[in-house]
Amino acid sequence: MHCASDRDRPTLIWLQGVTCNGNTHSFLNLPYLPQLLAKYDLLYHPLLPASSTLSEVVQCKRPCDVLVFEGAYDPLMKRHEVLLSELLDYYGMRAGHIIGVGSCASFGGMFKASAPQRNSGLIFDESESSGPLLALKNKVINLSGCPVHPEWLGYTLSMIADNKEIKVDTLHRPLELYSHLVHHGCTRNEYFEWKVDAKAFGLKEGCLFYLQGCRAPMTHASCNRILWNDVSSKTRSGTPCFGCTEPDFPRNDLFHTKTNMSIPEDVPLGVPKRSYLTITGIAKAFHIERLEGKLIDDKTAD
Amino acid sequence: MTKQLIDQIEGEASIRFDMKENMVDFATIAFPHFRGMEAILEGKPALDALVVTPRVCGICGHAHLMASVRAMESAYADANEPVQLTAKADTIREVTLVLEMIQNHFKWIYLVIMPELAKLRPEKIALTPLKGAYAASLASKALASFAGQWPHSSYMLPGGVSCDPTHLERIKAQSLVDELISFFEKECAGTALDDFLAFDSCHDFNALESDIGEIERALTAAGMHKKGFAYDRFMVLGEHRFTNPAKVMQTRLLQADEKHVKTHSAYSPSEKTFAKNACYKDEFYECGPLSRAMASNVELIKSMHRRFKDSAYSRVMARIFETARLLDHARDMLGSLALNEDSLIPPKPITGISGCGVGVVEAPRGPLIHRVEIEEGIIKSYEIVTPTQWNIGSSVKENPTPAQLAMMGNVTMEEALFIFRTFDVCSVCTTH
Ligand code: SF4
Repeated sequence: MHCASDRDRPTLIWLQGVTCNGNTHSFLNLPYLPQLLAKYDLLYHPLLPASSTLSEVVQCKRPCDVLVFEGAYDPLMKRHEVLLSELLDYYGMRAGHIIGVGSCASFGGMFKASAPQRNSGLIFDESESSGPLLALKNKVINLSGCPVHPEWLGYTLSMIADNKEIKVDTLHRPLELYSHLVHHGCTRNEYFEWKVDAKAFGLKEGCLFYLQGCRAPMTHASCNRILWNDVSSKTRSGTPCFGCTEPDFPRNDLFHTKTNMSIPEDVPLGVPKRSYLTITGIAKAFHIERLEGKLIDDKTAD
Repeated sequence: MTKQLIDQIEGEASIRFDMKENMVDFATIAFPHFRGMEAILEGKPALDALVVTPRVCGICGHAHLMASVRAMESAYADANEPVQLTAKADTIREVTLVLEMIQNHFKWIYLVIMPELAKLRPEKIALTPLKGAYAASLASKALASFAGQWPHSSYMLPGGVSCDPTHLERIKAQSLVDELISFFEKECAGTALDDFLAFDSCHDFNALESDIGEIERALTAAGMHKKGFAYDRFMVLGEHRFTNPAKVMQTRLLQADEKHVKTHSAYSPSEKTFAKNACYKDEFYECGPLSRAMASNVELIKSMHRRFKDSAYSRVMARIFETARLLDHARDMLGSLALNEDSLIPPKPITGISGCGVGVVEAPRGPLIHRVEIEEGIIKSYEIVTPTQWNIGSSVKENPTPAQLAMMGNVTMEEALFIFRTFDVCSVCTTH
C-alpha cells in the first residue's frame, strides 16, 4: 500500500536481461532485507511483490530513481515484448543511479557466451568500454560477481538511500567492496605464505593457488572479508576462487592452475614475477612441520 | 484466443488460452528466452561443468551441480575407473541438496502460492513474502556451512566434496536447521513439526490456525480439490534417501529408468518457444513433490490422493508437506553425520577419462538429468533435461502435457493461471 511517505522514498525498478535469476535469489539472503526495502518504493522486482506489474513497467511510464539491472544485455532480447534497449533508454535516462548487478550486467559474464557477438554488460564488454549505457556511464555502478553478494547490493542501495557518495574503480565497482582481493581473509593464508599447496581437494590444509586454480590473489572482491551467507566462502570450503568478479570470467579450466616451471603462470596482483619466483624459492626452503601434516591428526573424534 | 504474459516464475512465459463459454478449452505455453547452456559447455574441460551448470538456474543451481558431478562419476565408471564416495561425502551432498529444496519450497509458499491464491480469494490471505525470504535464507545459510556459498556453489567434485568440515560447521548447520524448524512451527504450521508429520488426514490441516491452515482453507474454498487434474501418473528418477525412483500409475509403483526419457520440440503454433517437452516412452508424466510422496508411500499424501487425486489442492499440499518432511530429514542427517572419513577420494585425473555418463537427481521440481560425453577430459556433448520440461511442456490438444491438461475443462482463466503455478514453474531451467 502507498503511504504518504512513499513520495520521499526513492523508486526502484529491477529489470533482467539474459540471466539465471541468481542475483535475484542472492539478494533475498540479505540479513537486513526488510529494513532496506523500507527505504525504497519498490516498483518492480522479479520475485518480490511490488507496486507495478511487469506489463505496466514495460509501457515506460513509471518513475525510476534507481534502476537495477541483472543479466547480460542482448540487443535482440525483449521483456514482455518490449526490447531491452527501449527499457534501458527510458529508465536509464530518468534514473539517478543505475546498478549492474552480477558479472553478466557488469561485463557480459557467463551469458556473454550465449551470443558472443551481441551480448555485453551495461557499459563494458568484458573489459572494453562498450555497451548500451555507455553515454550514461557516470551513473552506472557495477557490482560484479556471479552472483552478486547480497551485502554488496545492500551496501550500494543503503548508500544511495542515505545520499552518500560511492567511490568506484575504473570498472565502476565500489572501492569499499572491491579494493581487497578475495585472498584477504582466507583461512589458508598461512599455507599461501609458505607456499604449501593442497595435496588434493577435500582437505582443510593447503593453499589452492598452486595446483587447484585459485584466482583469489588476482581477484577484486570481499568474499573472505564479508562471508557468504554470513558463514563461509568458496576457499574456506575448499573450492578455488574462479575470479567471478573480474571481466574475464568465466575463464577456462577452472579447477587447475596453469604453471610455468612449477610456478603459477599468473602471480599475485602487483608482485613482479621475478620477485615472486625468488620468494617462492626461499619460502619453500623452509620445512614447517605444522603445515606439512594434518591440522587435526585424527580429524574429529567420532 | 487470449494471451497472458506470466512473470515472477524464475523468468518469463506466456500462455495462449482458447476459451469456450468463459472456460478454458485449450492452452499453449511458450518460453521466449534461451541461453544455450549445452552449447556453452561443449569443448570445455569436463570439470568446468561444475561451475557452468549451477548457472542454469538461480534457485536450484545446487541440484544442477549434483546432477553434473553424478554424470561425471558415471562417465568414470563407463571408462572402467569407478569413483569411490565415502558415506560422509554422500551425506553432505544429500543434506545440501535437501536444504536447497527447503529454501525453494519456502519461497514458493510465500512468494508464489499465497499471492496467487490471494488473487482468487482476496479476503482470506494475508501476504507476508519476507517470511518466505527469511526462512529460505536460513536454509541457504546452513547449506553454505558446507558448500561455501549459495547460490552458485561448486563444492562437489568427482570422488566427494571439496569441504572438510569439523563438528563446528556441523553444529552451526544444525543450529540453523533447528531455528528454521522453530520458525516453521511458529510461523507457518502453528503446530510442532512432529505433530504435523503425524497428521493422518488432510482434515488436520484444516484446523490449523496458521498460514498453512489458511492456505488449505483457501484452496478448498476456491474448489481446488476439484480442479487442476493431470494424468494421475507420476515420475521420480533421482536416487535419494527421502524418495526412490518409480513410475507411479495412479497408486501402482513400477520401475523407472532414465534411459527411456526423451525430449521433443514443444508445440506453440503462434509464438516462438525455446522449450522442449520431456516424455517417458513418449508419454507425459507429472513430477515433483506430489510424485515423490506417491513413490515413497507417504501415508498422508496417499490418503489425500484417494480423496482428491492429483488436483491442484493435492499438488500444493504435497509440496508443503514435503517441506516438513525434508526439515525432519535434514535434522536427522546432520545429527548423525560422521566426520571421521575422507571428504574426497581423488580419482584418476579426468584428463585421462573418455566415456559417457548420466547424472540424475531430484531437484525441487522433479527429476533433473544431465548426460555428458567426455573425450580425454573434454566435453564432447552435454544434454540437460529439467523438471519443468516434464510438467510444463506444450503439446497438441489431443495429447496435452500435464500442465495443459490441468488447465483445461471446467476452469476459468483466473483459475488456470493459479493451477499453472501449482507446478512451481521454472522458466530459466526449461529453456536453459
Ligand atoms: S586458497 Fe586461494 S584465497 Fe586461500 S590462501 Fe590460497 S590463494 Fe589465497
